[in-house]
Amino acid sequence: MLRQPFIFILLSCSAACIPAGAADAAGAPPGVAEDGQWTMPAKNYAATRYSGLAQINAQNARSLHPLWTFSTGVLTGHEGQPLVVGETMYVVTPWPNVLYAFDLRKEGHPLRWKYRPDVSSNALGVACCDAVNRGAFYVDGRIVYNLLDGHTVAIDAHSGRELWKATIADLGSGETVTMAPLVVGDRVIVGASGGEFGIYGWLKALELKTGQIVWTGHNLGPDADMLARPGTFKPPYDGGVDVGAKSWAGDSWKTGGAPVWGWISYDPELDLIYYGTGNAAPYDPEVRGGDNKWSASVLARRPGTGELVWAYQFTPHDNWDYDATGAMVLVDLTIGGKPVKALVHFDKNGFAYTLERATGKLLVAAPFAPVNWASSVNLASGRPVIDPAKQTGVSKGKVTGVCPSLEGAVSPASPPAYSPRTHLFYTSTNNLCMDYATAHASHLRATPYVGVDSPYHPGPGGNLGAFIAWDAVSGRKAWEDKESYPSWSGALVTAGDVAFYGTLDGWFKAVDARSGRILSKFKVGSGVVGNPIAYRGPDGKEYVAIYAGIGGDWALLAGDTRSDDPTDVRAPADYMKDIARHTSQGGIVWIFGL
Amino acid sequence: MSWHRSLLTALTCAALAACARPAASPAAAANAPPPAIAYEAHLAAGGIPPAGGVLGNPHAGDAAVAKAGAQLFTAMNCDGCHGAAGSGWVGPNLGDGRWRYGGADAEVFSSIYYGRPKGMPAFGGVLGVDGVWTLVTYIRSLPVPSDVPTESWEQP
Repeated sequence: MLRQPFIFILLSCSAACIPAGAADAAGAPPGVAEDGQWTMPAKNYAATRYSGLAQINAQNARSLHPLWTFSTGVLTGHEGQPLVVGETMYVVTPWPNVLYAFDLRKEGHPLRWKYRPDVSSNALGVACCDAVNRGAFYVDGRIVYNLLDGHTVAIDAHSGRELWKATIADLGSGETVTMAPLVVGDRVIVGASGGEFGIYGWLKALELKTGQIVWTGHNLGPDADMLARPGTFKPPYDGGVDVGAKSWAGDSWKTGGAPVWGWISYDPELDLIYYGTGNAAPYDPEVRGGDNKWSASVLARRPGTGELVWAYQFTPHDNWDYDATGAMVLVDLTIGGKPVKALVHFDKNGFAYTLERATGKLLVAAPFAPVNWASSVNLASGRPVIDPAKQTGVSKGKVTGVCPSLEGAVSPASPPAYSPRTHLFYTSTNNLCMDYATAHASHLRATPYVGVDSPYHPGPGGNLGAFIAWDAVSGRKAWEDKESYPSWSGALVTAGDVAFYGTLDGWFKAVDARSGRILSKFKVGSGVVGNPIAYRGPDGKEYVAIYAGIGGDWALLAGDTRSDDPTDVRAPADYMKDIARHTSQGGIVWIFGL
Repeated sequence: MSWHRSLLTALTCAALAACARPAASPAAAANAPPPAIAYEAHLAAGGIPPAGGVLGNPHAGDAAVAKAGAQLFTAMNCDGCHGAAGSGWVGPNLGDGRWRYGGADAEVFSSIYYGRPKGMPAFGGVLGVDGVWTLVTYIRSLPVPSDVPTESWEQP
């Protein structure tokens, strides 16, 4: 079965535990076996979403079937993923951010407890793009996660008791919190959404034991605010004193956005955390001349102090709402015969990037979906080669046929997976283009700071999405499974060489990781925008869990997909007239097994 | 905050040519007593509606004010939540003829002036009474398609 060498690891095993067999835990420190749990958002610090479990494989996956479901009672978009720690599954819902703890030992998985916080409904009007939550983090007996209205909570994983609740963000300034925290040592790393409200984007670290804010590093602005210190901050391409302020016309950086609503990864050896920043605000680029650093960028910081070590901007002077908040996946690749500690990122702007993660130096950039705003990325300068005809702004009126659309060639909410067995990345993609007409926007606290009309069109080929396998060394697609609708779920890949994803029209699919061949599919009741996980149950068997629940972007509710409000009727979107034929809203947790 | 008010005054004035009227000054209007609302579309306990003056839109049906309201709708970032021409985004569609909190002038006024739970900010402070009426006039001018509750994908 195995096509490359692997390390067979001896487990110190209790009776309930089964040998890990082909366990090959990418991202886990060498010598650490697959433990069958899923304790952090992306499975591991490297954010590979790879499980070393191999009971479910390409030969038997056709007999996957649902074993358990649970209605969350919440109808908005169910992004993120459950956690499995020991014999308990933890589920965070979208607003009102209920935390459920299910007892996996018992038939029917009854609740051990639930935690129901008081979360302000005002947050629903400040969250630009649905009231989502991208998941929790387990560490040292605590579940840590964010509430939409600007709080982080730590909950006793055994009792469900609230240990602390910290205020991290200000609704009145347009900040909400949708991202999943990452915990490194005694630091809880969090960020805020608000690129559509002109926030002054930041990353913060809280003390794990108390929730006290230890440091705040802004993603734009003067060096002092960014925790960028001379001699420490070494961007590989564009540096200079206060570049985070000077690359913005006037003081436009103060309302420049650059939010943090995606994922954070961590390299313990380099002691660096990596995260992407969102769009520059407002959408009219002409009022914020310059590169607008460090919006639409990846930033590397020290988790202990917050010090900025390097930054690389994928989309300088963002003209198209190309957030770079998608996952930064840390893998070791062989490029040109040399081992490289790499960071791989699928950007909204349609390019997949492979960087050297110690320095931020660009190694590979290649389009993984139809792209025309730039023809390529110059590897020497790190800058995209932009088509001037696709640049936008109030003076340019309606700019037509820009690919990809502002929904992204992939939604940053839909993280990829990487298998160290196939050496391939797996990701959902969207095949949408757009027209883009910006308008003047005024910055008015607690109201949006956007100013755009951007109708979408299907990209070339007719399919609106695809699930692809990607070689980050060559910058090429290995295979693709076309989808009728934009593909909006995260990916999972396992040591059984099975990849999993869900579709907007409500199918949960298992495919052969080497060929893309569909092995099984099941209609899960609502469109899938969540991320699958694999875990080993108390009975020693492998299971896969996924959320159903369309949402996470109001564009997805076109065609009256809404079912929760009789007073809100949505016309079909031109690009996706019949999505409401196949799905409606509704959050459901699913568990599948053999 | 002061530049917001100047911006608003400028916008409202340019479109309304109503600056000579004291009521059009947002700063002055913000100090006016809260309007009374007749909740005509709501159920009344005991069948007895609460007492209160009838709140009328001084600009009802005025096309020029509706046009000014369209500008305000963009300038106040209403479109950022409710979509272009109120077609629906984070906030509900305002042009489908269906209403969470009532679609009479006074009810729409109340929603904008005081805000609503689940995310509608209160705009009364920044817009003043006349600014809110200007928006109400625009929203009430949106063409409402006939309400067809059935959506069918079968061939006729």
